[in-house]
Amino acid sequence: MNISIKIPLFLLSRSLKRGNKWTLGLTVFLMSIAFVNLIFITSLFNGIVEGANNQIISTLTGNIYMSPKAGEDFIENPVQAIGEIEAIPGVVAASSEVILPATLSFNSLKGGWNVIAINPEEEKSVTTVSETIISGRYLTSSDTDAIVLGKEIAGDVNGNELSSLKGVAVGDVIQFTYAGAEYPLTVVGIFDATFSATNERAFITQKTLTGILPSLEGKATNILIKTEKTGTEQTTIKALTDKQIAGRFFSWKDMSGIMESVTKSFVSINVLLTFVGILIAATTIFIVIYIEIANKRRSIGILRAIGLQPGIIAITYITQAAIFALFGIALGSLLFVGIVVPYFKAHPFELPICKAVMVIDYADYAIRAGVVILVALISGVIPALLITRSRIIEALSGR
Amino acid sequence: MNPIISVINISKTYRSGDIETKALQGVSLEVKRGEFVMITGRNGSGKSTLLHQLGLLDIPDSGEIIINNKNVTKLSEHERSDLRLRYLGYIFQEYALMSELTAIENVMLPALPFKKTSICQKRAGELLAQVDLESKWDHLPSQLSGGEQQKVAIARALINDPVVIYADEPTANLDSVAAADVMRVFKKINEDGKRTILMITHEQEETVYANRIIRLADGRIV
Repeated sequence: MNISIKIPLFLLSRSLKRGNKWTLGLTVFLMSIAFVNLIFITSLFNGIVEGANNQIISTLTGNIYMSPKAGEDFIENPVQAIGEIEAIPGVVAASSEVILPATLSFNSLKGGWNVIAINPEEEKSVTTVSETIISGRYLTSSDTDAIVLGKEIAGDVNGNELSSLKGVAVGDVIQFTYAGAEYPLTVVGIFDATFSATNERAFITQKTLTGILPSLEGKATNILIKTEKTGTEQTTIKALTDKQIAGRFFSWKDMSGIMESVTKSFVSINVLLTFVGILIAATTIFIVIYIEIANKRRSIGILRAIGLQPGIIAITYITQAAIFALFGIALGSLLFVGIVVPYFKAHPFELPICKAVMVIDYADYAIRAGVVILVALISGVIPALLITRSRIIEALSGR
Repeated sequence: MNPIISVINISKTYRSGDIETKALQGVSLEVKRGEFVMITGRNGSGKSTLLHQLGLLDIPDSGEIIINNKNVTKLSEHERSDLRLRYLGYIFQEYALMSELTAIENVMLPALPFKKTSICQKRAGELLAQVDLESKWDHLPSQLSGGEQQKVAIARALINDPVVIYADEPTANLDSVAAADVMRVFKKINEDGKRTILMITHEQEETVYANRIIRLADGRIV
């Protein structure tokens, strides 16, 4: 075996086996905390971005959003369109909607919100809004004068929302006004989709809409399309376009609007905090490794005095630093995957745009692990070289 | 026969701020192969400094040192390390054993760059037997007495079959029984192996083991 490997391995194996276990444990623990600190922020932001994106897809736009042909206000035959869309490979389901910028009023309070007329059964196969009911129930196909309100519209009696109906409850009757038509609707449910843009919407059945505005029967302003996999939207859009289905198709990203800029801001903040995190982790690791190796000054002096080459001695302690880093990454990964991720899965961060959990991006993870190893190696090189270049007599005396 | 060590007019001055300490001032000496030479003198006389220069642990400011017909004065750090490892054995007052290695591992360490681990282990075992420590081969330094640690250090110094052994007050930290035991080991090494030994001592009674005594005072041989 090459002596530049044989001697370091010989010394390291004994050092790990017989060295002070508390020192070893504490060093590895500090390295692991530095690593967890590095992956925590990025995983949180990944979670927020992914959570917000999921909310857009699952409560607002579907994977693909179909709007009428240019110059037209409605998709004229949504039933036929849905049939054609669902025949495309990769499409799971589709649901037509009529979005009405309406006025809702209750007692003296009123405001303008988007009221969406849907087929509840279709909608359930595309969005998850029906699963987020916090009071009452979701719509059924037979509902004719029922409305389900988003949490932001219903508001709270003592709430300080800028615009809401201040505590409308299930069973209350509110007034729906659109294009001069006025209609009383009974609130049957209130939902909280954990996404403010969705919570500012209300849903009625298409049967209800037909009762109020018969001219809109059999029409849709848009169709939401759910695909098997997120990320394959462009392929599906191409297939939809190739099939010449009358309408315009947009991926959820195109429709995310303000959320896209929010997401971009999170990405920028993530980069900034990652940079700061790396600086903090690098400083911590540097101090830990530097002290560890500086404390080996006498041992390094002994090795030099008996004639081992400085290069081999440096490799020994640099390898030791790398082993500390690997152990730290392993322990940090265990702590993160075994404790942090499950904890936040059970207790997600409740944000207006999503319930954020930790999402590990494996490329980010590998880069951060590489950063920890690189910093550890640099931290090992500097004291090892300083000591191997100092006077042997001084190193032997521990000075 | 050429001397195994020739020292020609070496000087060494240590500086600490404005303070200069002339540790060695023009020291010259020769040591023949197989000699057991003791270096004595008061504290600060330059004994350890001289041994550090001869053991290639330090570099003199001027003068020349020739060991085994090789001028070692101007060698690079790499070459000096190689010479220390292959041809010189050094025994320190404080034993200088690696605390995380057992007795046999400490002894075999300097041989690992040259031989298979199993061969190093066998030879280290033989050397530990020579210093009566075969039963404590697996003890860590912390589990050995001072005398035993020093005998491990002696065995380590012998593992690469050096041409010269330097010992810097090897008995200074030992009680009289352990010191006598260690000195018997040195005598045995010198007589049986015909090895050259340069030893610093403060103990007058130890000088009886030497073939020759060099006295230093104020950095000069007197």
